[in-house]
Amino acid sequence: MIPKLRSKKISVLLMFSFVLPLLTGCWDRLEIEERAVVLGVGIDKAEQALPKPSEAISHPADKQLNITKAGLIKVSAQIAVPGRIPLGPGEGGGGGGGQKTVWVVEATGYTVADAFNVLQQRVSRPLFFGHLRIIVVSEKVAKKGIENLNDYFRRNPEVRRTNWMVICKGEATAIMHASPQLERVPTLYLMTTMDQAVKMGRFPNDFLGVFWNASSAKGKEGYLPYMEMMENDNVQISGLAMFRGDRMVMTTTPREIIHYMGIMGMREGGGEAYAKLEGMKEYFMFQSRTRQSMFKVSLQNGKPYIKVTTIIEGNLLSKSSESISLKSDVIRAVEGQLEKQAAEGYRNLIAKTQLADSDIFGFGEYIRAKQPSYWNANIQTSEKWREHYKELKIDVKVDVHIRRVGMKAT
Amino acid sequence: MEYPRQITMIQAAAVLISTIIGVGVLPLPLFAVRAAGTGAPLVTVLGILIASVGLWTITKLGMRFPNQSIIQYSEEIIGKWLAWVGCVMIIIFFSLLTSLAAREFGEVVITTVLKRTPLEITVIVMLLLATFSSRNNMTTFAYIHNFYLPLLVFPAILIVALSLKNADVINLLPVTGNDHHQMLPGILTIAGLFQGTFVYTIVIPAMRRPDRAMMASFWGMLIGGGLYLSIVVAALGVFGPEETKLLLWPTLELAKTTTLPGNILERLDAAFLAVWVTAVFTTLFSSYYFTIRAISKLFRLRDHKMLSLFILPYLFVLAMLPQNIIHMYQIIEWVSRAGLVITIGYPLILLLIAVARKKRRELDDSKATEQED
Repeated sequence: MIPKLRSKKISVLLMFSFVLPLLTGCWDRLEIEERAVVLGVGIDKAEQALPKPSEAISHPADKQLNITKAGLIKVSAQIAVPGRIPLGPGEGGGGGGGQKTVWVVEATGYTVADAFNVLQQRVSRPLFFGHLRIIVVSEKVAKKGIENLNDYFRRNPEVRRTNWMVICKGEATAIMHASPQLERVPTLYLMTTMDQAVKMGRFPNDFLGVFWNASSAKGKEGYLPYMEMMENDNVQISGLAMFRGDRMVMTTTPREIIHYMGIMGMREGGGEAYAKLEGMKEYFMFQSRTRQSMFKVSLQNGKPYIKVTTIIEGNLLSKSSESISLKSDVIRAVEGQLEKQAAEGYRNLIAKTQLADSDIFGFGEYIRAKQPSYWNANIQTSEKWREHYKELKIDVKVDVHIRRVGMKAT
Repeated sequence: MEYPRQITMIQAAAVLISTIIGVGVLPLPLFAVRAAGTGAPLVTVLGILIASVGLWTITKLGMRFPNQSIIQYSEEIIGKWLAWVGCVMIIIFFSLLTSLAAREFGEVVITTVLKRTPLEITVIVMLLLATFSSRNNMTTFAYIHNFYLPLLVFPAILIVALSLKNADVINLLPVTGNDHHQMLPGILTIAGLFQGTFVYTIVIPAMRRPDRAMMASFWGMLIGGGLYLSIVVAALGVFGPEETKLLLWPTLELAKTTTLPGNILERLDAAFLAVWVTAVFTTLFSSYYFTIRAISKLFRLRDHKMLSLFILPYLFVLAMLPQNIIHMYQIIEWVSRAGLVITIGYPLILLLIAVARKKRRELDDSKATEQED
């Protein structure tokens, strides 16, 4: 028994000596107020051609680097000011009233990483990207290519894939500096704008991860929301910014967002459209509720052919006068008219994307998936698909159903 | 002291499942997609089939010699010296497997959460955890696995199920993939991720009813393999083949993209990492335990406890050998493919010879050779 007791003692002692160093604390301990929490990032093209000597931190000042096509970029980061972010809607009215909840810091660099390095030199606390919610990229930078941004944000483990990346007309800094009235924190306002648009069926759920998935896929191109700064610190989603690879090539009109969602059959419908019957004066306004679509891929004479069928269900929102009352045949006629309009809109949008070689619908992915032998023999790469997409034959058919007319009988 | 055989069928299956689910689940979709693009699920299924052959072989052997582990019956089948060579190979391979798992764990933790903690600390903590746990006997070993099993399986299923919201069937087609020339190495790599199941050779002699060992290995492979397959399908469905190729740990990105409904958790990666640490622990525990049990059997030691501390420094040094993360994954892929010779080829040869020489042992309840204390 004695040796056993002793071995027990030794093992207990050993355990303590091993456990003790593990309990002493945490290497990575970093209190929340010791971090510079970056909520939003804006990326612009810098005005100057060469970096200022003070900003040459990751490279010598006297050397011109040629890393990206965009040249020097300016990054503006919205950093949360600790203690001034209201925790709930009712809180923070008195205490922090009038004070800014965020601090916008700017820096320039050749790449995002370079600019953040300069930024870190100016901000006392370590930058933390775990709460980054929105990345605003100016149109100018996007048109030169955002490969460098994609690389940086994909690599950084703190950055979420559920962020929003938006392209803005004009300066991204302006959006970073804007302070809309609905939310105390400007970035949260931008984020709510996007999230609510998705919920209302006014914009596809196209967060950063979805954009990345689309732009790396061979038979598909990515697209991002296109934002515009309006007066009164207001921002509007005014279209889709279509990409080819990592370069933005074209924007759509706001109306075409709905057309895009119709073609893709994104369930939550929110589009509204006027219809006017031939030979009548009345305008009917229709609002879609749900959408559904099907892509049928086949080969015709050895060439791929895609048939898109969209089914839209919705309600009548308004009617311009009392001269005509709603009857079955009127409803049917309105449906027919809407179908015609929608199909035309869809065809125009498809033609537009074909002109820009930007297959934001992912028709190529359908061909890769459904006609693999054709894909393997003729396409295989995304460059080849861009060439093929121009000549792709696509037919569109739309079925509109008006289900309800609201609380008015006629 | 000899205890009666205590491990039930369910515990045996639990050991298998929690051994299978380990560090490998993080890069798993990447391995599969690299091999065949959208054919990744197919590659995974083929990998599972190969691994099943291996598991079937060691189960068959185990049932033929229900009182002995592979170290003992291999001596009986092919003679002492040849078996000795085989056993040393197995031991070296499992030491490598253990240390590489610990290193991979350390790399993931440093990259994602504890950026400033030295690699040595994360690795040594994990190894120490396995060291102390492996001082237990076989029954406790099985209990620990059984205890952690629900903690591994249910969160994994939850993440897969929730992530399917963002998935697109188009990303899974065509099921054979568009490009096949990398398929075979991919299948072998995936089969290699299952090699921890070799620990089964020391579990069977401690099972209450070794005749039900086949049942346990069937369920273990079905659930473990099924989970692997569903992770691959979910990652591929959400990211698509090309994006998956850009991600070092697609499963972790999957957890990052997935949100719990109702804004409870906006990203599941923190929760997932917590679960994953447990999964790594159970896998590491299995291979560590197997290594020291095999050494103690080989040198006919009565006790394996002191060995647990003795091999720790060797494993630690092995874990520190890879120069960087790219180098580490090269080594891991190479080791796990080469290991198939040891974990599938060698038992297969043993089984063939055993059948040819009509070697078999009857179940002997009174004298379980697995020593317990």
